[in-house]
Amino acid sequence: MQQMMIEIIDVVKHYQNASRAAVNHLSLNIPQQSVFGLLGPNGAGKTTLISMLCGLFSPTSGKIIANGWDIAVDPNKIKQIIGVVPQEIALYPKLTAYENLLFLGHMYGIETKELKERINHNLEILGLLSNKDQQIKNFSGGMKRRINLIAGLLHHPRLLILDEPTVGVDIQSKTAILEYLKRLNKEQGMTIFYTSHHLDEAEDFCTDIAILDEGKLITKGETKQLIQENGCRNIEEVYLKITGRKFRD
Amino acid sequence: MKKLFYSLYKEYKVLVRDKAAMAIMFVMPMALVFLITVIQDTTFKSVNESSVPLLLVDRDHDTLALQLERALSKTRSFVIEKKDLTTGEVRELISNGEYLIGIIIPEKSSKRLRDKAGARISKLFVTDDTLQNAPVDTASLQLNLLFDPITKQSFKMSISSAVDGIVSGVEMQSMVSELNYQLKDIVPGADVDVQFDSKPLLTTVQEYATKSETTLIPNSVQHNVPAWTMFAMFFICIPLSGNIIREREDGSAFRLLTMPGSYMYVISGKILLYMIVSILQFFLMLSVGIYLLPLIGLPSLQVGDNYFTLICIALSAGLAATGFGLLVGTIANSQDQAALFGAVFVVMLAALGGVWIPTFVMPEFMKDISALSPLNWGLEAFYGVFLRGIGLVGILPHVLKLLAFFTVCMGGAYFYQVYHRMR
Repeated sequence: MQQMMIEIIDVVKHYQNASRAAVNHLSLNIPQQSVFGLLGPNGAGKTTLISMLCGLFSPTSGKIIANGWDIAVDPNKIKQIIGVVPQEIALYPKLTAYENLLFLGHMYGIETKELKERINHNLEILGLLSNKDQQIKNFSGGMKRRINLIAGLLHHPRLLILDEPTVGVDIQSKTAILEYLKRLNKEQGMTIFYTSHHLDEAEDFCTDIAILDEGKLITKGETKQLIQENGCRNIEEVYLKITGRKFRD
Repeated sequence: MKKLFYSLYKEYKVLVRDKAAMAIMFVMPMALVFLITVIQDTTFKSVNESSVPLLLVDRDHDTLALQLERALSKTRSFVIEKKDLTTGEVRELISNGEYLIGIIIPEKSSKRLRDKAGARISKLFVTDDTLQNAPVDTASLQLNLLFDPITKQSFKMSISSAVDGIVSGVEMQSMVSELNYQLKDIVPGADVDVQFDSKPLLTTVQEYATKSETTLIPNSVQHNVPAWTMFAMFFICIPLSGNIIREREDGSAFRLLTMPGSYMYVISGKILLYMIVSILQFFLMLSVGIYLLPLIGLPSLQVGDNYFTLICIALSAGLAATGFGLLVGTIANSQDQAALFGAVFVVMLAALGGVWIPTFVMPEFMKDISALSPLNWGLEAFYGVFLRGIGLVGILPHVLKLLAFFTVCMGGAYFYQVYHRMR
């Protein structure tokens, strides 16, 4: 039987003063070592679900189990094994790339010598070693995205949560990011939880996909299986078939 | 400990590369204390020192004018200028603000004063009823005092009293001269010379009631340096709240919150760094008061010798200011909102707390409101050490209030974060 990294059990999240639940009776299993794509229109509840997976919010009801721990009970245990790459460039523009990574690595409690080795290794793989002493504010969008990714990988997380990691980057940076992530998934067995609006990218990158709309799970399954079951040519057709063409915002 | 160190190091790097924040925290308060002290020095001097411009119009050219001028000079409170002007011209110059006070001594005032004094003394020695009832010059002898309309009533009264005192002395001198003359008339050939000792029989001794042996006179430096130090400390709420909001907006706060226990270190790093900034501001402002202001002719700041107490005040004020900045940064939704709210609120607290206008000149009801401002607590504590020589025990209530303010701000920020932003 396949081991689960995350089990989401009938989770509801209703914000104070909100007219409807952001996440509405969601149940979902994310297998270990999978690359799991969570897709959905704006306001589907993706960011809320990520915040709950990171232990920032508690569900209004239901339960989230990650690596066998209940997130509501042991949020700090979950935080030890997850790496987060937010949609925003969550870096300090006035610090250099190296200073940013050194600070964030120390916040994960990594020893200085080991940390420096990991920083240099990651910078080299993503082609940024020669730029490490430049301030982030002088970086291009693609360079910032790559540093943003490295910041989430320094402590070798078992579960990596990526919120639209390739927004606004050129094809070279996008390829470098996705290839590195695939390598980490294969070589280190890292589970990847990924959200994006780039459906072709998701189709190519993810082993499993779930589609959310208005807080509810619409469909889930292995990527190829979803395309076949819906009689479509690609995930974009599946997505439009299931969620429709109505604007959500 | 390592996490705290790296958090502090990160905050330090971010801050020193933010030129605007550095200017707000260090250059602006120095410029403010420099400018305001120079400007207010004139006001303090107008009450304390020899700089009140006085116009004297002497139409008498005799003893009264001479003695009045000499006595006024002796007080060292006035810059006296003598001019030959009409009453209308004097009125014009004073209403224009060129002089604060004008004194017009009418023609023959000395002679009339002597005549009046003589007539009074003569009456004492005359027994003849006809002479006793002889008419005397009853027309009043007047000195005209003209004041600039901005002059405060209390200052006007003190000047009038001083002039009255001088005139009384001149009157007394005239009467003594007349007495000598009359006595010589009664006892011809006698060597009569009554000497009048003009020294007062009852004197008052004035001193400042301080607890230290040194007596420091409040002046613009003693007021402005601690006042603007408090202002500068609380103004760190703008860069600090901006820093917190930036981290929230760019997703750094989100990332840090996903790390085990790290956000606590990040917040502690911020508190520690801004505490250090507060202490640096404190020493910088004291240095301005001690070394820089005397270079332009202002008095040097006297800090007393309770250094430990001063450090305690600076630390507690720094904590209060940091707590306030954290609260503003947590509650405000944008950097603009935080900058506007923070600046306006600090300016209001400063105005209430006596930064611009010392609380002792405020009306009674304003003094009660002023006591609610944390800037007032810090300022009163500094006054206590600088001017009154009070030690740690004496200023402890102010220090405790500042620490309580920090606790309330931190509690407010925590509850707002947990029960509002994360729900």
